[in-house]
Amino acid sequence: MHPWLLLLLPLHVLASKDRLLGVSPELATRYVSTKKGTVETWQCLDGSKTIDWSAVNDDFCDCADGSDEPGTGACPNSRFYCVNAGHVGSYIPSTRVRDGLCEPECCDGSDEPEGVCPNVCKEIGAEYRERLKADNKLRKTGSKIRSTYIAFAQKEKKRLEEEIAASAQEISTREKEVDRLKDLVERTESLSAAALEEMKSSPLYQSLKTHYTALKSLQREHKKHLEREKALGDILDQLRTGYNPNYQDMAVLEAVRGWEQLAGLPHINDVGKEEENADELGSDDVEDAATEDEEVLEEGMWTAMQLEYQLDDLLKTDYDGLLLEHDKHAGTPTSPTAILFNLSAYLPDTLVPQYESLRDQVVGWLALFGFTQSKSDSAADTSKAQKALNDAEHSLNLARKEKADKDQELARLFDSEWYGQEGEWKKLSGSCIEKEVGDYIYEVCLFDEARQKPLRGGQTFSLGKFAGWNTAESIEKGTPAYYSKQLYTLGAKCWNGPQRSVMLVMSCGLENALLSVAEPEKCEYEFKVTSPALCLAPSAEDIKREEL
Amino acid sequence: MRGFGSLLVLAAIPAALAVKSHDFKTCSQAGFCRRGRALSARAAENPSWRSPYSVDASSVALSPDQASFTAAIKSSIYPDVKFSLDVRIHDDGVVRVRMDEVDGLRKRYDEAASWALLEEPKVSQKVQWTVAKDSVKAVYGAKNDIEVKVAFEPLKVTLFRGGKEQVVLNNRGLLHMEHFRTKESVPKSKETVPVPEEGLDTEDGVQAVLGVHPRAAWFEGEQEDGWWEETFNSFTDPKPKGPESLSLDIDFPNHGHVYGIPQHATRLDLPTTTGENAHYTDPYRLFNADVFEYLADSTMSLYGSIPFMHAHSADSTVGIFNAIASDTWIDLGHPSPKSTTSHWISETGILDVFILPGPTPADIFTQYTRLTGTPALPAHWSLGYHQCRWNYVSSEDVRSVQKRFDEEDIPVDVFWLDIEYSEEHKYFIWDKRHFPDPVDMIKDVEAIGRKMVIIIDPHLKRTDNYPVYKQATELGILVKKGDGLTDYEGWCWSGSSAWVDYFHPGSWDWWKSLFKTEQHGDQWSWLESTVNTGIWNDMNEPAIFNGPEISMPRENIHYGGWEHRDLHNINGMLFANLTSQAVMARTDPPKRPFVLTRSFYAGSQRFGAMWTGDNLGTWEHMAVGVKMVLANNIAGFSFSGSDLGGFFGNPEPEMLVRWYAVAIFSPFMRAHAHIDTKRREPYLLDDPYKGIVRNMLRLRYSMLPVWYTAFREASVTGLPVLRPHFVAFPRDERGFSLDDQYFVGSSGLLVKPVTRKGVTEETVYLPAEDQVYYDYFNHNAYRSDAKGKEITVPAELHQIPVFVRGGSIVSTRERPRRSSPLMRRDPFTLRVALGKDSSARGELYLDDGETFSHQQGELVWREFVAEKPAKKSKGVRISSRNLATQKPTEAVDHVALATYDSGNAFAKAIADVRVEKIVVLGLPTKPSSVAVEGGKELQWTYTDGVAASDKKEGTASVLVIRDPKLAVASDWDILVKA
Repeated sequence: MHPWLLLLLPLHVLASKDRLLGVSPELATRYVSTKKGTVETWQCLDGSKTIDWSAVNDDFCDCADGSDEPGTGACPNSRFYCVNAGHVGSYIPSTRVRDGLCEPECCDGSDEPEGVCPNVCKEIGAEYRERLKADNKLRKTGSKIRSTYIAFAQKEKKRLEEEIAASAQEISTREKEVDRLKDLVERTESLSAAALEEMKSSPLYQSLKTHYTALKSLQREHKKHLEREKALGDILDQLRTGYNPNYQDMAVLEAVRGWEQLAGLPHINDVGKEEENADELGSDDVEDAATEDEEVLEEGMWTAMQLEYQLDDLLKTDYDGLLLEHDKHAGTPTSPTAILFNLSAYLPDTLVPQYESLRDQVVGWLALFGFTQSKSDSAADTSKAQKALNDAEHSLNLARKEKADKDQELARLFDSEWYGQEGEWKKLSGSCIEKEVGDYIYEVCLFDEARQKPLRGGQTFSLGKFAGWNTAESIEKGTPAYYSKQLYTLGAKCWNGPQRSVMLVMSCGLENALLSVAEPEKCEYEFKVTSPALCLAPSAEDIKREEL
Repeated sequence: MRGFGSLLVLAAIPAALAVKSHDFKTCSQAGFCRRGRALSARAAENPSWRSPYSVDASSVALSPDQASFTAAIKSSIYPDVKFSLDVRIHDDGVVRVRMDEVDGLRKRYDEAASWALLEEPKVSQKVQWTVAKDSVKAVYGAKNDIEVKVAFEPLKVTLFRGGKEQVVLNNRGLLHMEHFRTKESVPKSKETVPVPEEGLDTEDGVQAVLGVHPRAAWFEGEQEDGWWEETFNSFTDPKPKGPESLSLDIDFPNHGHVYGIPQHATRLDLPTTTGENAHYTDPYRLFNADVFEYLADSTMSLYGSIPFMHAHSADSTVGIFNAIASDTWIDLGHPSPKSTTSHWISETGILDVFILPGPTPADIFTQYTRLTGTPALPAHWSLGYHQCRWNYVSSEDVRSVQKRFDEEDIPVDVFWLDIEYSEEHKYFIWDKRHFPDPVDMIKDVEAIGRKMVIIIDPHLKRTDNYPVYKQATELGILVKKGDGLTDYEGWCWSGSSAWVDYFHPGSWDWWKSLFKTEQHGDQWSWLESTVNTGIWNDMNEPAIFNGPEISMPRENIHYGGWEHRDLHNINGMLFANLTSQAVMARTDPPKRPFVLTRSFYAGSQRFGAMWTGDNLGTWEHMAVGVKMVLANNIAGFSFSGSDLGGFFGNPEPEMLVRWYAVAIFSPFMRAHAHIDTKRREPYLLDDPYKGIVRNMLRLRYSMLPVWYTAFREASVTGLPVLRPHFVAFPRDERGFSLDDQYFVGSSGLLVKPVTRKGVTEETVYLPAEDQVYYDYFNHNAYRSDAKGKEITVPAELHQIPVFVRGGSIVSTRERPRRSSPLMRRDPFTLRVALGKDSSARGELYLDDGETFSHQQGELVWREFVAEKPAKKSKGVRISSRNLATQKPTEAVDHVALATYDSGNAFAKAIADVRVEKIVVLGLPTKPSSVAVEGGKELQWTYTDGVAASDKKEGTASVLVIRDPKLAVASDWDILVKA
């Protein structure tokens, strides 16, 4: 007698009906044994092996595909079917079979040994149907709102089409006007432009122009520097107030201290004192500091204030006018004959076309820089005509742009990448929803921009501009899943981090609302949003499920 | 000036991407280290150098009843200063040498050992000291081959074995204990000269030249270098106690390899810092520090310090535990390939050195852990997969991470919360805006058998609306400034902060009271947590953003009037120690605590787990992480790991997958990531990476029985969970420098994780023995021989080179589950890897995994043995035996069970847990029968292949015994007949 006899384990006795434990109804027909005499066998579902029928659901994995143990969890990566009478049947992975836990997915407790999990399918099923009912109701109501959005889009379509037609009409009228004025300018110009050109060859005028160009360039560079300084100040302010994650880095500490010294800010460590001033100080303060530094000026030198406000006026000087005035002043012949002005008359015929094209170019260039408001008597006619032409061209351009905008809006209206195939999102374009979380108000204006606005003063940051819908590869354009996410990208840059961006995770709801804001990764936000635009009416099948 | 300032600011930004070396001292920037190295240089240049320290022969006093003696020590350069010597031999042969200044102006710090030691070691009552004219000697050991000799003139302590010098203290005469003196006691010249050394701050650059005692100058140097006040960066250390450093040379004249003294990002076989072709320029430093983006190859100090070193040669291993808690620098040299010198330079403290005689690495572990304690047996769940990130931002976030793991069926045991869970970084206090329902959240996690671990850092936000700070202030238990009166204030995550002085006994019960989850009287406690919640202690070096070397000013005052410099390296251990006690005290009876610490010291292994701090997501850091974890394992602290994926940076999928392979073979396995990184939870990976990682994690879970069994062994014997080659094969010289492959416990598993990019195969060294090693996955048999052998094996991304040494039986649980507690009823698989002699052996230890009931004998400890039933038989008998019955006294740590009751409650609870499969590798022939002895034939299949006893390589023969229906906790025999 060996002691092992006592040690044999009580098997989880599985009667033959239990060979079907965990098998779904549609697979039940495949769990049938083949009898050859007294031997009952069964083939793994993938056909890889034939085993004893008694080895099915005997808590030992024989088949490579795991199909011999639908009811025990002995095979990894297989599935267990819970019948869940009173609820809906469902699969659970084999990792959850006989793990001692009762999961709602298997409310009948069939995956655990008897007595471990009570059958709660009645309650779970009732709850489920209740939820389904509520959900269907929500979708039904929501879809009604959604249909008003669609109707709105239809109206928009009509409006846009009408307006586009009107615009087209207007454009055609304006084009004619431009043609007429062009003709007029050309004719006036041929009389006056040549004389002006002659005077412009004066070295004084040329030098003035060079000065003008140099000053203009200097101003551009100066502005660039100011912007850079402002941006740097912003970065450093952000670093200073949001230093924590990097403060253990002593370089950051030094940067903060350096900045505080430079900008005359109190040290951020002096908690309490800085609260009120910190936000207003910062970049403004830098400019003040700059002014203070440069107060002692040479006689006649411009102050920073003058530079800021008066330089533009200076640059708007009408040089042509001055040229003519200068002529009067210097006593040069004041009334040159029209022929003098008409330089082309002096030129050999072969050169005339070249001259004229050059002249047009120069005039165009002058127009661009606003030089053409001449007060000179002789050029007055040209200028007047030119101005009328410019105005007309401007109006034409505006009309064209307006039409282009409307064309684009019309094209987007039923574009699945924009307002949806039914145009259901058009209604919401530009409408803003917001939510207060912590120290900020988060706002998203749909199809436009998302923002973070501090409650206690300070800078509003752009969190990104609308960049499109769900771009995941597996998602098909125009499906409900596609419209469940909206991306806003290229917001204000984070210090030491990426440009801010927002993912809107959207679901059906009766209101357009921002429910929650999270920042799962630094400077990458997730907004949970509801909108009726996502509510699709429940199908007949959906409604039928309520009754099950 | 303005423009210049702006430029500086701009320049600082890109520099934020590297270690801030300038935040931390080099030896030349620390006065006492400069002095120590200068002393060593003078000694090397002076052929007639002789240590000024000697034993006063007339003072030797032997203890009448035990192996200890005391004596007075004199210094020839300071004849008026008195020193004492105390030498003891413990009952396990460990020698403890202590030296202190007597009747000095002040007292040297002498409490380091008391925090590190498990208990006061027992001094031998057998060993006898004998006093000779010039020395005191003792001879002992099993073979009477150990001799300890304390020579008088000059003082020199030598441990011999078999007549060979093993360890020599003060061999080169570098011992110097700077006695206490006052600034006024030394006359000063007014003249100042600049110190020529580079890298010093200007404040340091001018030193007073002095008329040092003329006899002392040859020894102490001409200058009072950094004696009184030192400035580093913008921090001035007033050094009110003046110079008090300790210099000690410890030589190993017959050992060519030294290991240990973690924590450094270096190779395991420690490279040299002195001598020709020194590998590093600066000494190894032990000074717990928060080093931002540390270097992957440097002797710079890191977060923890264990001043314990192995010296190893093919025929002997010895160890040194230098119980010192102050800033310490260690120079290493190999005057010859067969010998090692070490020079330990510490800022303060008495000399308190333990010499561990070995002679094998296993003996060293026993001796070391008898001193400082064995690793605590961890809660079983804590060996599972830990998922962390700075930060999971809300309770919704935590729930959704858990959901995603379950949807992808990827096992995980623990979710972690970093500092952002707390309101304004007031630890314990939830930020209710994002965590409105903390207890419900934790319970949702615990519903799947999982746990949460939440961070509690030592810096307390100084605000009265924070009960923890308020109470600590009222109790007067905060660390004080140098004046000893004012509470110290520093800057950390929480802004202006204070630090509890855990050396203050008044803090102990108070700290424990904070973790109670039920209200006790009026005491504030963490009601919004659960009794299963683990704790993460970070920043406990302590890290202080505006402190010198990102830590606490050295002149700060702790309980008992000790300066922070005296006990700095113990600070982190004490915090984790008390937290661990607090976690245990939440319930009665207690549950096993889980506390992760960043800072540690000798003895920290008793309190929880550690990780290697803020590593980078680079291949170099992945590789050095393996070495650092090995170094920790051989320094007694097995429960260790590195941040999976690298804390900083965004690892590409290949790197992340390889890192999972590294981590599943680390004792502690936690994925963690910095707040600036992209999310990288395994479910976010695309296939095939996701599937590979899922399989790797499932592999870890299947091997949890192996890990747990290895931890039982570690907790009882002190043998590490990860064993580098020199530990597993101490005589195999080819393995002495290996630190990228290792064995897991005594399981016979040999692992070499791939830590290089783009690799498709890997070279693995098989140790010098005539043995077969089986590929764990495809059962290919490789053979080594007496010289050792390198093999090249496939190592595609989904492959990990893992081998089972012939002669091992590995127990696994192969059913994937969502978390480890859900595996407790799952059956086992046994892999019998027959050795060259066709036998094999393995152990399996099980208990409830979370309480201390195992200390009452509620456990199962089995031995599986495969051997030939008869000498010439080609069959094999596989038996299951009860080890706990055979060796009850060795079953668990801390208690020696007198007997074992195999009918204990735990054993009963798993009585129906069975062995579902036995895989036998390397049988010579197809069996004619496989049956439970005396029972009927079992179901089995056999695939022909290479036999263990063959000389051939190739796929081994495989016998699979199908569901023998045997209980894992019962005795049984299976007979495989040829």
